[in-house]
Amino acid sequence: MTRKMRMAALAVLAAACATALAACGSSSTSSSSVSANGIQSPKTQAQSGGKRGGTLTVLNHEDFENIDPGLAYFTIDYEAVYATQRPLFSYRPNTFAQASPDLASEPAEVSSDGKTITVHIRHGVHFSPPVNREVTSADVAYAIERGANPNVANPYFESYFSSLEGSANAKGGPFPGITTPDKYTIVFHLEKPTAAIVLDALALPLSAPVPEEYAKRYDARKPSEYGDYQVASGPYMFKNNSEGKVLGIGYQPGKSATLVRNPNWNASTDFRPAYLDEINIQIGGDTNVIGRQVLEGSNMIQNDPVAKAIVQLAYEKFRSQLEISPGAGTRYIAVNNKQGPFSNLDARKAFWAALNRVAMNKAAGGSLVADVQTHFIYPEIPGFEDAGGLQGPKVDYNEHPEGNMAIAEKYMRLAGYPSGKYSGSKTLALVGSTAHTGEAEIADSTLRGLGFKTKLSLVDQSVMYAKYCGVPAEEIDVCPNVGWGADFPDGQAVLDVTFNGNKIIPSGSNNWGQVNDPTINAAMEKAELLTSREAREKAWAAIDDELVADAAAVPYAFVKEAQIESKDVAGVGDLWNSGSWDYSFTSLK
Amino acid sequence: MLRYIIRRVLWGVVLLILVSALTFVLFRVLPTGDPARLRAGRVASPRVIAEIRVDLGLNRSLLEQFWLYMKGIFMHFDLGYSYYSNASVKGLIADRLPATISLTLGASVVWLLSGLAVGIVSAVRRRSALDRGAMGTALLFISAPEYWLGLIVLYLFASDIGQIRVFPGAGSYVPLSSDPWKWFTSLILPWLVLAATNSAIYARLIRGSMTEVMGEDYIRTARAKGLSERRVILRHGLRSAVNPVMTILALDVGVLLGGAILVENVFEIPGIGLLNYQAITHSDFPIVQGTVLAGALFIIVANILVDIAYAYLDPRVRFQ
Repeated sequence: MTRKMRMAALAVLAAACATALAACGSSSTSSSSVSANGIQSPKTQAQSGGKRGGTLTVLNHEDFENIDPGLAYFTIDYEAVYATQRPLFSYRPNTFAQASPDLASEPAEVSSDGKTITVHIRHGVHFSPPVNREVTSADVAYAIERGANPNVANPYFESYFSSLEGSANAKGGPFPGITTPDKYTIVFHLEKPTAAIVLDALALPLSAPVPEEYAKRYDARKPSEYGDYQVASGPYMFKNNSEGKVLGIGYQPGKSATLVRNPNWNASTDFRPAYLDEINIQIGGDTNVIGRQVLEGSNMIQNDPVAKAIVQLAYEKFRSQLEISPGAGTRYIAVNNKQGPFSNLDARKAFWAALNRVAMNKAAGGSLVADVQTHFIYPEIPGFEDAGGLQGPKVDYNEHPEGNMAIAEKYMRLAGYPSGKYSGSKTLALVGSTAHTGEAEIADSTLRGLGFKTKLSLVDQSVMYAKYCGVPAEEIDVCPNVGWGADFPDGQAVLDVTFNGNKIIPSGSNNWGQVNDPTINAAMEKAELLTSREAREKAWAAIDDELVADAAAVPYAFVKEAQIESKDVAGVGDLWNSGSWDYSFTSLK
Repeated sequence: MLRYIIRRVLWGVVLLILVSALTFVLFRVLPTGDPARLRAGRVASPRVIAEIRVDLGLNRSLLEQFWLYMKGIFMHFDLGYSYYSNASVKGLIADRLPATISLTLGASVVWLLSGLAVGIVSAVRRRSALDRGAMGTALLFISAPEYWLGLIVLYLFASDIGQIRVFPGAGSYVPLSSDPWKWFTSLILPWLVLAATNSAIYARLIRGSMTEVMGEDYIRTARAKGLSERRVILRHGLRSAVNPVMTILALDVGVLLGGAILVENVFEIPGIGLLNYQAITHSDFPIVQGTVLAGALFIIVANILVDIAYAYLDPRVRFQ
């Protein structure tokens, strides 16, 4: 879900790209770092052979949200955290299919009943100063346990680690679900066979080791201050003082951050090449100015959303410095499945059929940064092809990306409106995001074309989620621009929280359309317990099919993300993180 | 005089309490989002949200929250902690204040000097080509949004992305203590942009005020006494005409010390305005609340200083 917030800013990549769109296709599969149209793709960038040394300057207009590995949950946080921390598993830049052992020395062992996961960790990995000692399995155990500490309050602990034995009552201390039989082995004991999803979650920053004897005093504070005094296990560390203090030294909120080499990092234990000597991150400024500074400057990258005018400029004049990453998430229209006109399946199909998804995507930035969405599992997530690929399922309401009113009216008649237009008295409440005004207005006008009376309100994106679309009691009929990006490559990470009726909660619900189909819920509960990747892929693809058949929401964008670099930077983007530049693989030319 | 000052200061404190209460209502009673949810992140479970709600004291009654909030501000100067970085808001504001002071004071010198010069020339050469040209230009600058003007000067003159690469561009600010020359050069463009609008307004104000003053009897008397025109304008005319301008200057400086959001953002100057902008985009309420209060404090202090200066200059004021 980290990329979800990032997608909010994707709106910034809009209309200016429109002129450049027709020529922009999908990423190349050639072996060079640029595709046929001259744009880079994280899938094909060289991960080795970079020049060692130098200082990279990062111009970000956004600040980090959290640099504590127990709290980091945002695209730009991840790039710093994965350069400074070593979770048990992590993704190489060009893949979002399978995590590689990172602190783990080899792939995890999963018991045949899917209820026990054993992970062996590497010897010879050391914490940065001032801790300096070797990392042990107890440090990984403490790192995950502290996720349940209310002072830390890790945002995804309950979602992915709640099946660990005893985790329900965990408050930050040891619990039976995690044991460490020796210094280099950690075992996870699960109450039910959910090994697959726990294993995926072990690639999140929460599994990066934290030394208890050092961190405990900071974790005792409300809220925890460990992030301000953190130590590293990866190739880089936030610059700190002799006491380990980072805040005000290596990280000045809203101003800058400095990553320097971790003197205790042992390259032979890591797959990261870590070419750069130092990474200076400057925070703040206007995205248009930053973009120009990067494109025309030297040794710079931008590692947060690029302004739409800059994407256009890069496409037209600095194409080799532009990277487009597929698989950055989805954006769709949530319609209220529980009450109102869209509790009727045929009315939902009518809306889907009528919507001009091509126009929606043009408003969002065009084909350079979005493909027409045809179902819910998105590119790079296993199950995408099984669920129909880019073409999507062959149902009549999905076959006309530019919208088809004849099909829409057919479904309106099936929904009980003989004229093919809505004839009820209800005025639909639409709440959209100010970051996606164009898409919201197109959705609104489509509904009016189907005969609905509407009242569209545009609010800040965070307010849209926190106060309206995520609160079922508000009874919003349509949320025209909600988005989702998965934490890891698994259909469950895309569909479960967003469409499982059992996940609807009174506040902060991510099932914005209140989709609650017992058949789909049951299929999800069953699929969660599958351990084989192939079986999971097929099961979640089948659930995707059911969601399309149920027209649970109206999809419109498979999101892609743009990144830019200076001409003398050999950037390597992370496919698993919306193409953001990876500090441990990027080098200077 | 002392009683007058005490009275003004007490009124200032009352005003500050009212503003604090208003910010409480704005951010706690009429929230634009649930602070616990914002702090917890998007997929946090209800349990985590509930725990954070307790930590933030949001489970207490509004009255209790209000008391703790006011007590924190007025007894401990505690403005809370950032939802994201956990950094103290008081510390963040103190850290950002020097950059904002640098920007504000430098720009105010530029706009005051240029505004005075243009205003005086326009007033003494009314309806001349110079006057029309100056006032036309002033109108242009008044109409130009600072944000747009900032981008234009960067695209024209910034040393990294400009067409004529003369001045350091965005992100070049360094503190005065680390390198005075770099500090000075990095602020030239921001000073000019921030001063442009204000300078134009001040020029028009001075022109109007001077035009009125220069028609007064005592000016005619001064001229009749044989004083030089320069002396008449600067010693007799300007001295009277500048009073209302000084009042506005103090208020403008107070407002800008609360943060020049647009200029600081365009030029990437790590001041209170940029801090506020970043907090707004992240819905980091404690910081927004803290910067609002700091801004109010600066305006109130500036107001008190102006009132005291007026009372000093004109004894009638303090007896009213």
